[in-house]
Amino acid sequence: MEKESYTPGLCAEDLAHYRDLAVQYARKSLLPIFDGEFSDGNLSLLPEKLKAAFEAGIAATPDPSLPGHEYGIWGKAVDAQGFVPSIVLLSTIAQTCGGVAMCLHAQGVASNVLASASGRLPFAPRTVGLALQEGFCPPFWGTIHSPDIDAPARITTVAEKRHDQYIINGTKSFVYSMNDVDAYVVFALSGDEWGCFLVNSRAQGIEKKDVGVRTGLRACLVEHVTFNNVEVPLEARIDENGARDLVIRALILNWVGMSAIAVGIAHGAVAAARKYASERYQGGKQIEELPAIKMLIAGAEAFAATAEKMALSLSDDDLYSLKKLKESAAAKSTVMDLCARAVTDCLQSFGGYGYMEDYGMEKRLRDVSVLKSASGSTTYLKQLIFDLEKEAAK
Amino acid sequence: MNQSLEERIEQLKPKNAAKKMNLFGRMLVDNREMSLWEHDTKTLSWGVRRWRRKALKFAREHIRPLAPKADLDPHGYDPRPLLSAAARNGFQTLLLVPPLGTASILPFFRSTVLQVAVVGEEFATECGGLALLLLAHNLGMAPLLLSGSLRTIIGQMIPFYLKSYILGRPDCMAFAITEPGAGSDVEETEGGAQAKLVTTAKYVPEKKGYILNGRKCFISDGGIASQVTVYAKLENEGIESWTCFLVKKGTPGFEVGRLERKMGQRAADAAELIFDNVFVPEKNIVGRLRSGWANNRNVLNYSRPVVGAMALGHGRGAFERCLEFCRKTYLGPRRLIEYQDVQLELADMAISLWAARSMIWHSCKQFRGYQSGSAAAKVFASDTAYKVCNQAMELMGDHGYLHANGVERAWRDSRLTQIYEGTNQINRLALIEHHLSTDFS
Repeated sequence: MEKESYTPGLCAEDLAHYRDLAVQYARKSLLPIFDGEFSDGNLSLLPEKLKAAFEAGIAATPDPSLPGHEYGIWGKAVDAQGFVPSIVLLSTIAQTCGGVAMCLHAQGVASNVLASASGRLPFAPRTVGLALQEGFCPPFWGTIHSPDIDAPARITTVAEKRHDQYIINGTKSFVYSMNDVDAYVVFALSGDEWGCFLVNSRAQGIEKKDVGVRTGLRACLVEHVTFNNVEVPLEARIDENGARDLVIRALILNWVGMSAIAVGIAHGAVAAARKYASERYQGGKQIEELPAIKMLIAGAEAFAATAEKMALSLSDDDLYSLKKLKESAAAKSTVMDLCARAVTDCLQSFGGYGYMEDYGMEKRLRDVSVLKSASGSTTYLKQLIFDLEKEAAK
Repeated sequence: MNQSLEERIEQLKPKNAAKKMNLFGRMLVDNREMSLWEHDTKTLSWGVRRWRRKALKFAREHIRPLAPKADLDPHGYDPRPLLSAAARNGFQTLLLVPPLGTASILPFFRSTVLQVAVVGEEFATECGGLALLLLAHNLGMAPLLLSGSLRTIIGQMIPFYLKSYILGRPDCMAFAITEPGAGSDVEETEGGAQAKLVTTAKYVPEKKGYILNGRKCFISDGGIASQVTVYAKLENEGIESWTCFLVKKGTPGFEVGRLERKMGQRAADAAELIFDNVFVPEKNIVGRLRSGWANNRNVLNYSRPVVGAMALGHGRGAFERCLEFCRKTYLGPRRLIEYQDVQLELADMAISLWAARSMIWHSCKQFRGYQSGSAAAKVFASDTAYKVCNQAMELMGDHGYLHANGVERAWRDSRLTQIYEGTNQINRLALIEHHLSTDFS
């Protein structure tokens, strides 16, 4: 695939380097997680594997002393290099484990928001989580535009300025992150506008609640985080004149990254299905000779390739624009659908074995289904896409 | 025209508008307020209706409370109380009519499996795994009935039934056709002809019986069944010699091997069965020698609509739980269910489920299982159920993938119905095969 056309600032060697980096990480660090009978891998090994991602420079971080700060997934270099390096890293890692890719992605988006903030950070955390969503869905356009009106749902997390500090109250839902992050990037209503705050995760008044047993992406922590009169200094507010642009940026990166992960999962499923079809004999011949199997795998390959093209075609000129927000919402909606179809068709080609944990196909299907529902599912993204088109026409 | 918009809308509702019609016109308008479930139930004959109501009550009382734990910890719960309760309530003996079984008499002779299908939907609505636990028993039992052999029915099936219904014994049967090297092959004709089967029966004249050797895999209820209907080829012969044997638990050489770890329907096991020189007396041959292939294919004709009904149940379970979520969840000042886009999605799900139910019930409308109708109903219902479960998960956003809400469990459960009882690809080919000389030649 000619990825150079999407990446004016990068040459083919750069992309090959990113892909090779992700392949090495997946092979050396992630594959050992799947030794033994664990449907989602041996998650007790995860902390050391994520540490390796920081050491390799794959994981982005607000801490400028670490190698991933610039060139990790959604690192500071996104503005210069565009989406493609992060898409390549995420999709390559997701071929082995969607959950770990989601961990690195969540870390990257939160780090990127901090890196792009205009204010100076009061401290430089190593790991961060993004606290944007409330209720069951990320904000709709009306709420992005004006967080204090019901369009359709106002933001209920409020940061009130009192003397020399802000007091934050409210609950953020479905906060994806690595385990035990150092800080949260919290979007809250401040006056009548969006505010963005860097909050130490150990600050008094923060309650974290794991969301419980989930379908997939289990390597990534998901929590509801409640802020009860959490006091933060004035300099913890990292935006200067409202954080709406940062909200838009966070949503764009989130949806693009999730699309990249879905693409990786789909490619992993196709590769596994092709391998199985060439090795599995039934009735004395390889099942890849059966037309039904060919149709399933070929269709899946087409879906995965189309999804990849769509993800890579997202230009990265302005990460604060409504046009880009609309494109990324459309990409998330469409890419998820294509990738879910690809994975389920690949699983079908395994017959009963696809449904068992042994071949990892059911994990892929579980992971991609979570991506479909998470952080804005198709039904709700359609509303946003329509509203943004209308807004752009004004 | 001084009325408010709300008042005008109220007047325009069909129920109120009909008041302006004359008496006979009003009589022709059906304005009864009735749930979809109740409406469908009333279209059934009295006997089937009775089972549908009974199954709904049983599922809510016995299956619903057990479902989350049985799914999360399939080896940590005891299935026997549930099996026993189902047996006492007559759910395990629906393949014969009283006094030997419990199926309603008239509906049974119009459709052998409609009552099982109706029950299957209700059970699967609450939990796919527990529904499979209870219904796989019928699959294991079906070869005995469909063998057409009075010797088998009187000698094997009826005693089992009486103990089940009268004593409430938590025993069940399992159906074993799938082999590690032959999954879909044993469910369609061309595959069958080329299948590499390993489970073999060797005749031992001096002992008047057969020695079974081989392995079966993915056998639902295989780990807990007290008896298994096992299909084996005769020594030095092909699948044409397939014969069904009844093998009892505890027979020397018969062991349960690996219990598979599945994505869904986890409350029911999928076991590997190992036959190492297992002796089966001649009296335990189900039907005639070498009639196993025909028997197996016919069992599938009867079981596929039931699998379709179970899939429908998974979809309905997801739909009902999603509906409840939309009722109680607010987006801004309004509940989700008040948004038109949400209503459109919910309506689409209800329509899909209705269509699947219509197709299943239609495919059951005859005494004998009909290959193409059964296969088509299974394919349509399982694809529909998976689609509806996906819609439900997406409508609930991030809450859709939480185990606590029960929708993702239905989604995982539904995916298996596209695979077992023949993959949906195999079932499509079954339809073509059935009508090759009439429609597709």
